[in-house]
Amino acid sequence: MNTMVLLENVSKRFGSTVALQEVNIEIFAGEFLTFLGPSGCGKTTCLRLISGFERPSTGRVILDGRDVTGDPPYLRDVNQVFQTYALFPHLSVRDNIAFGLRMKKLPLAETRERVDKIIEVVSLDGLADRKPSQLSGGQKQRVALARAVVCQPKVLLLDEPLSALDAKLRHQMRLELKSLQKRLGITFVFVTHDQEEALAMSDRIVVMNLGRVEQIGGATEIYHRPATRFVASFIGDTNIVEAEVLGTDDGKILCRLEGGLQVLVRARNAPPDGKILVSLRPEKIRIHKTRPPGENVFRATVISEVFKGAVDDLTLRTEGGLELGVLDTNEGSDEVEFDVGEDAWCRIHPDDVIILGG
Amino acid sequence: MGYLLPGSSTPTSATPRRTPGPAGWLLLSPLLLWLGLFVVVPTLLLVILSFCSRDPDAPGRVLYAFTLENYVRAFQPTYLKILGSSLLYAFLTAILCLVMGYPVAYFIGRAPEGRRNTLLALVMIPFWTSFLIRTYAWVTILSNQGFLNGILQASGLTSAPVDFMYTPGAVVLGLVYNYLPFMILPIYGSVEKLDQSLIEAAYDLGARPWSALVEVILPLTRPGIVAGFFLVFVPSIAMFAITTLMGGGAVPTVGEVIQKQFTAARHAPFGAALGTLLLLLFFAGLWATKPRREPEPID
Amino acid sequence: MNIIRPSAFAALLACALLATGCDKKTAGPETPISRETKSPGELRLFCWSEYVPQTVIDKFTEETGINVYVENYASNEEMLAKLQAGGALYDLVQPSEYATEMLIKEGMLLPLNKANIPNFKNLAPEFVGMGYDPQNTHSVPFMGGSVGIVYNKERIKTPVNGFGDVFVPEHAGRIVVPDDAREIVTMALDHLGLPINEINADSLAAARTVLTDWLKLVKVYDSDSPKTALLNGDVDLGIVWSGEGALILNESDKFAWVLPREGAHLFVDNLAIPKTARNKAGAEAFINFILRPEVSILISEEFPYTNPNTEARKLLSPEQLANPASFPTKEEWARLEIFHDIGGAASDIDGVVTDLRAQ
Repeated sequence: MNTMVLLENVSKRFGSTVALQEVNIEIFAGEFLTFLGPSGCGKTTCLRLISGFERPSTGRVILDGRDVTGDPPYLRDVNQVFQTYALFPHLSVRDNIAFGLRMKKLPLAETRERVDKIIEVVSLDGLADRKPSQLSGGQKQRVALARAVVCQPKVLLLDEPLSALDAKLRHQMRLELKSLQKRLGITFVFVTHDQEEALAMSDRIVVMNLGRVEQIGGATEIYHRPATRFVASFIGDTNIVEAEVLGTDDGKILCRLEGGLQVLVRARNAPPDGKILVSLRPEKIRIHKTRPPGENVFRATVISEVFKGAVDDLTLRTEGGLELGVLDTNEGSDEVEFDVGEDAWCRIHPDDVIILGG
Repeated sequence: MGYLLPGSSTPTSATPRRTPGPAGWLLLSPLLLWLGLFVVVPTLLLVILSFCSRDPDAPGRVLYAFTLENYVRAFQPTYLKILGSSLLYAFLTAILCLVMGYPVAYFIGRAPEGRRNTLLALVMIPFWTSFLIRTYAWVTILSNQGFLNGILQASGLTSAPVDFMYTPGAVVLGLVYNYLPFMILPIYGSVEKLDQSLIEAAYDLGARPWSALVEVILPLTRPGIVAGFFLVFVPSIAMFAITTLMGGGAVPTVGEVIQKQFTAARHAPFGAALGTLLLLLFFAGLWATKPRREPEPID
Repeated sequence: MNIIRPSAFAALLACALLATGCDKKTAGPETPISRETKSPGELRLFCWSEYVPQTVIDKFTEETGINVYVENYASNEEMLAKLQAGGALYDLVQPSEYATEMLIKEGMLLPLNKANIPNFKNLAPEFVGMGYDPQNTHSVPFMGGSVGIVYNKERIKTPVNGFGDVFVPEHAGRIVVPDDAREIVTMALDHLGLPINEINADSLAAARTVLTDWLKLVKVYDSDSPKTALLNGDVDLGIVWSGEGALILNESDKFAWVLPREGAHLFVDNLAIPKTARNKAGAEAFINFILRPEVSILISEEFPYTNPNTEARKLLSPEQLANPASFPTKEEWARLEIFHDIGGAASDIDGVVTDLRAQ
């Protein structure tokens, strides 16, 4: 795969605050890449470094093989969909969309043709002569998208473009965006703090926190194999438990969790030693009325239960006093109902105990 | 791609028609009373006076007999010429104020929020002193034995005094100096409200700084520009104190001529006619720069 | 984006209306005058700006306990308009000679009780019983003055004896004249030897012909402070009030004063009591106070016009008395003439001067 954007050892300071620290990110041509993280994590700064609204304090920004670190935004082949859309209120929908082509001094006929086509693509037919103030939120969203896409940028930057929409429209727009990206083949760089959005649309996700990259990977990888405590806790719910490595056996590591429970963990990299952190996803802990066969089986008492329809949200306490959140998916042949105070058998597969770094 | 879901296609920010309810009218009443007493009534009196004659026996007295004579006289070349030159000075002043004031207003409006008030105060400080003192200060700078000529001659740039005072240039300088804040403040108001992301969007779409200025920033701050232009242009037309003090009054301004009709010339109806014409001119100007109503949403 | 509009439009409307009636010179201390606040110990003086020294007013209050409230005007017509409009109650006004004549003609002044003004006897005979009020029944002179020529001796080498010597092509762009249509037309009428108080179409046409050439040469029109342009070197000669002329001579010996040989305007500013006065006794006491020699010289010191008070002149210094602008010689005095009310001709005069200035 070709590299489209490269952030190389990029740091960014605003006064005494460090917004980005030694960030290295490679974005491939044609992929849908999402920057995910809480507010202030540096994801928007990354976007603004690519668009050119910010210059890095150190490091380089490479766009399609060219160093654009010092280039102003108007010299970069990237376009952005702004969080508040930033539609020009004095221009009609058509003139908003044509703005970029006009700035590039394209022939009038070609401009008209491309604008008409994109208006059709984003289903804005009939609204072309309206002013932005006469549009609904979803319509504005599509104008903003059309205005950026019509320029045929090498990279399309999207800064939380869905956050201003209501929930229903937001879900629909996710699918729209994804399918549009597939059809156009443009590299999309998306910024969001909404993990669901990121998981649903992205080819790859860059999870950021405190100006650093925590993990880069596909949605399933990020979810199932979180590299750090932050990633594990930021994406989905999980039990994070302190543990001590006791020894290695046949590709598995034997750990003692806090509370004394001993579990086997599938070793993926060089086995660590000493104190570690492990992540146990609640839905990966299976509970049974009777003792199941296999490894990593332990007893625990149900101390709370919340029925949530498709799942039961339980809290269990092991004999050693460790409290674990468990999601009972109410599936399979096993007995379903657990009451508070009842004892249960729990089991977690060695593959599902994740050792966290950092 | 069918987007037009019910509930999402309703334009959210189209302005509704505003007609005040009873409480609204009550709240508006002080303003309406003020406008009526101090704007509408005097204006009507002025218009009525402009159609009156003078008492031939006691010329200071007005005779309520209808005549068009005052308007006929007002359209004589002399008065049209005076009006024209007054408008020209005022226009030049407004343009210069715009050219000088816009960058200042833009700079202040885009400055960090905490610093804006300080910068605005700096713009206003000279105007805490009396207008006459400020203008006389310019006289001491610009006169033949003044500060500027002193510097020019001491530095050997000129050998004889240059005439700065009592020239059209001095008049425009005085007007620009006195009215610049009236340009800066409304433009600042517009610039301050300008969403930074709109400027970024322009750059993002390939606009170079000049294009961004012409295509986005200027159109979006137009209300401030129009307001500032009129706030400078209108009083400049009639501001005869500066034309007299700094221009020597060689060409009378329309404000001065009107004032003299009410005093020395003792022909108030003629002064009223000139005033009415000026007023009509302002209204025409307002109408010409009025914002055009945007079409309402189709649905 | 249109939020600013309504307020901007209101502001514009307000400006448009203000622009039709603004005045620069009435910035004096304004005192609201109404019947309610009236008490016997108050005197309301309506006078020219910068003409009655504050020291004189303070002294009067100190002596009599009468508080003096001062309001200023910048032209006789402004004062007349305010009196004619009614409502404003003044105890004392300060009209010039032709304005005094008009006020008497319109019956707007109270006759003076000379018994209350014993100091009337101090007035010089030439200032008593002048044409506008032959018996001084309604007015007492405050100060007199003339309209003459001041020129810079260093820059003007040709002799200057009259208006005809001022308005020559060599002086183009070096002249200041009063911003006053009647004074300007009077210069031309005096130059032509025509009567200055009987203005008709013929005399106005003749004056116009003269002024067509003259006004082209003028650089500055200034009634308020013509000395500024002269002292700053922006102009080299001009027509100024004698009080201003006297100040210029005091300030710099580069300048010379000439009373035009063709004749010139003699103005006399008087004190008079309007019919609506509430404190006539106080007003007469003020007039009598002003006529005291030791008070009168206070006025002369600040405003060196022609002091009409014989007894006061005795207290002035030889230098003050020697100032040719303040005190014209007998021959010069004979050349001076006061203004009379010219009625509707005021507008014609204004039309001619405005027309010529706009050329």
